[in-house]
Amino acid sequence: MEFVRYISKRILQTIPLLIIVSLISFFIIRLSPVDPLAELRLNPSISQETLDKEIKRLNLDKPIYIQYFSWAKSFVKGDLGYTSAGEKVSVKLKERIPNTLLLTFVVIFMTWSVGVPLGILSAIKKESSFDRMLTILASIGMAIPSFFFAILMLIFAVKTGWFPVGGLTSYNFNDLSLSGKILDIAKHLCLPALVLFTISLSGLQRQMRANMLEVLDSDYVKFARAKGLSEGKVIFKHALRNAVNPMITLLGFEFAGLLSGAALTEYVFQYPGLGRLILEAVMKSDINLVMASLMMGTIMLILGNLIADILLMLTDPRLRRGGQ
Amino acid sequence: MKKIWGKYWGKYWGKYWSKLGSAFLIILIIALCLKACIRADIPEDYTRKLPDSSIDNIVYPEKNKNITINGIDFLQTQAPAGKFGGELVISTIGEGPKTFNPCNTKDATSSSMAGMLYDGLLTTEPRTGEVIPLLAKDFEVNGNDYIVHLRHGIVWTDGKPITADDVMYTYEEVVFKGLGNPSSMENMKVEGKLPEIKKIDDYTVKFTTAKPFAPFLRQLSYPIVPKHYFKPYSDKGESEFNAFLNPNTPPEEIVSNGAFKLKEYVAAQRVVFVRNPNYYKINTKNERLPYLDKVVYMIVGDTNNEILKFEAGELDLLSIRGENVARYKLKEPESDYKIYNLGPDTGTLFLIINLNNRKNNEGKWNVDPQKQKWFGNRDFRAAIDWAVDRKNMVQNIAQGVAKPLFTAESLNSIYLNKYIKGHPKDKSVAEKSLEKAGFYNKNGILYDSDGNRVEFDLYTNAGVLEREALGVMIKQDLEDLGMKVNFKPIEFNTLVNKLSNTNDWDMAIMGLTGSPLEPHDGKNVWKSNGPLHIFNQRPQNYTVDDRLEWEKELDEIFEQGALKLTFEERKPIYDRYQTIIYNQKPIIYLYSPIRIAAIRKKFKNIFPTPLSGLVYNLDEIYIDKGEIK
Repeated sequence: MEFVRYISKRILQTIPLLIIVSLISFFIIRLSPVDPLAELRLNPSISQETLDKEIKRLNLDKPIYIQYFSWAKSFVKGDLGYTSAGEKVSVKLKERIPNTLLLTFVVIFMTWSVGVPLGILSAIKKESSFDRMLTILASIGMAIPSFFFAILMLIFAVKTGWFPVGGLTSYNFNDLSLSGKILDIAKHLCLPALVLFTISLSGLQRQMRANMLEVLDSDYVKFARAKGLSEGKVIFKHALRNAVNPMITLLGFEFAGLLSGAALTEYVFQYPGLGRLILEAVMKSDINLVMASLMMGTIMLILGNLIADILLMLTDPRLRRGGQ
Repeated sequence: MKKIWGKYWGKYWGKYWSKLGSAFLIILIIALCLKACIRADIPEDYTRKLPDSSIDNIVYPEKNKNITINGIDFLQTQAPAGKFGGELVISTIGEGPKTFNPCNTKDATSSSMAGMLYDGLLTTEPRTGEVIPLLAKDFEVNGNDYIVHLRHGIVWTDGKPITADDVMYTYEEVVFKGLGNPSSMENMKVEGKLPEIKKIDDYTVKFTTAKPFAPFLRQLSYPIVPKHYFKPYSDKGESEFNAFLNPNTPPEEIVSNGAFKLKEYVAAQRVVFVRNPNYYKINTKNERLPYLDKVVYMIVGDTNNEILKFEAGELDLLSIRGENVARYKLKEPESDYKIYNLGPDTGTLFLIINLNNRKNNEGKWNVDPQKQKWFGNRDFRAAIDWAVDRKNMVQNIAQGVAKPLFTAESLNSIYLNKYIKGHPKDKSVAEKSLEKAGFYNKNGILYDSDGNRVEFDLYTNAGVLEREALGVMIKQDLEDLGMKVNFKPIEFNTLVNKLSNTNDWDMAIMGLTGSPLEPHDGKNVWKSNGPLHIFNQRPQNYTVDDRLEWEKELDEIFEQGALKLTFEERKPIYDRYQTIIYNQKPIIYLYSPIRIAAIRKKFKNIFPTPLSGLVYNLDEIYIDKGEIK
């Protein structure tokens, strides 16, 4: 019961947050001197009538606050409106969400299943040559800008011909058999996933290492060792359970990043994900699309934090007691 | 000694081997990166050489013929007969199509995609630019009457016949009602009146314009849409019609009449078209075209990605930009592609000067009064024209793959005024011109007759390297005259907002595409009340007549030019407008890029033309792998 009350309280708290986020972002986008109809205006074959029709359709002839209220009204009703090109925002998002989820899930799965064990290992073998090597690799991974690494990978793909150059599926995708389709997607995913994996692995591995070291240094681990417990038991039963708590918070943030995607990497690889869509929308001041994605990002962030908190309550008995 | 050395080495190795190893690793990675980037140098003289105008020696097929077989009026191509099958993969840059409804397209990608699906009554002869029949069997023009005869026995993709009812529907209920994109309707109006359309019989339609109106014949290339498929949506009104045929429409449900029909659309990835087995065009062996099974448009985000995809063999066609031409030309002999020089583009790059002398809604001047005096002075504008070095721009910015431009019509326009020869850069002429306009130069700084320093802003859209380089070059040329130029690249949409709404700018570097066939299409730019009359933009519904003398003449020209029907009558009129722009210089034209394109050699029946490009005849192109070495 306490649990349910806690969650509903958290959810209620998000409402003012959403309103503030939407207000700020709406006004910033609308007050920037970007004209959503720029391309149309510069097209000599477009008549004034067409422009007037578009201005009316996009509500650009009304004051900003009225634009905001009409947007907010339909958003509350669950209607995300239309893009400036006249397509449904919800349809556009639906096209891209599965692609982005696919990429982010693969990357998160890879980084966590490799990064966490590596972090633990390098903490246990602190200052060994293995640890040093990992430190150097991690520094390289953190120092390389993602777009640069992505471009290098693209050149690699062109030179060797082993991987396709960007995209998610080949043009003859629909003619392939099921296994062919899976292989095709896997081939396309390899390079963007590798880039994102390398970038986020280093951070995660360093984080895990630092947490683990801190715990290994604490009194209760020393006590457990003094008690004569085996090293495996000390590490997995006592140290790890405590070291993993900050990681759960981190996982919450990862959840928030699920849908925001990695715009730069997606752009370089021409990956049909959300990040690229939203980047292009911001450039054109496509308000409904940008607002929908911002609200989605905010909700995901709040959800991610909530999930992390719940998980923390489950793993950490101290918090559970605190809650009661 | 040995022992010490050994001990030292051992210690060193033991303690520092990981550092050494990592240093080695870093060096290795750097070396690999460098290896990937370094390429054999291209000889200097080669970068200045253009591909030969390879289209000069092409033997073009004769014009299409009409031929009737079993009561069906086919269109027969005279291009060599080829083999059926295969696919062509090309690219479209940007976000892909926003609609497949040919009546509602507002951007180039959408209209070319919808154009794949729907043919119009008439079309343009790809070489000469004259108007020829396509979906129509033939047409007659008698004064203001246009009689169009349709083909018997041709059908939509769903098997229903294409008749005069479809034509009547397209014009009466879609175009003339301004559904979708109303620009076509506006462009068909003569003095505010739309043409009349009359059905004579099931296969004949007559159009009558209120006055002789030259652009109308070309406007009959408007795509014809199926009444039985479109009518339920157009009856529901504007918003239903706008959503109709959006990219997510199930492809198998679309009824069309083009050479290809839609197979699939994958957002941000590709659009796939397959051959329409019912198409009415046949080859010399009387087999139904097109040859290709599939035409795939890959949606790529930018030109860099397009180049990579071409290099990786994922694309069959690439339009090559200035900086890459030399490299591709060098690799051509041992490659599987052929490069064509298609001549100057319809695009024009120019420096535009703001002649606006009005106040905005808040009562503030759009342009400083002292600047108005400069920009409004023809001699000042002429000085700028003489000061910019077009030859240098072509050589260094466009890498020689462009031609200097002095006219408002693009270089491949059939209405180009060939008497305007242009001039090289001449600083002394520019200085004299400034002197005449009352400016004086003191210690290398230019002042106007009131003693104000000549200083202004020059805008362009950021992110386009070519325009940013142009800006730097122009700034340098003008600062040689003592002017102070604040060069400000800004975001594209922001720039357009300045140009067309707020009007608070001094000079800008811009580009526009024109039509090489119909100068009347430029009326939005040249007419004094046009929505794109950016060098002197008047607000909407502006009633004060503050036109400059030459603006009045331009208005007159664009009224008169459309009312004359023959090319011979129209040519001198449009020559005059180019002369006016050249003399008055509200827009200083810089250069036109030359289009270079590469296509894989296995594709045959490639007949590139400067007017239509490389693959305008998708239905005639076929694959012959036999000749690949």
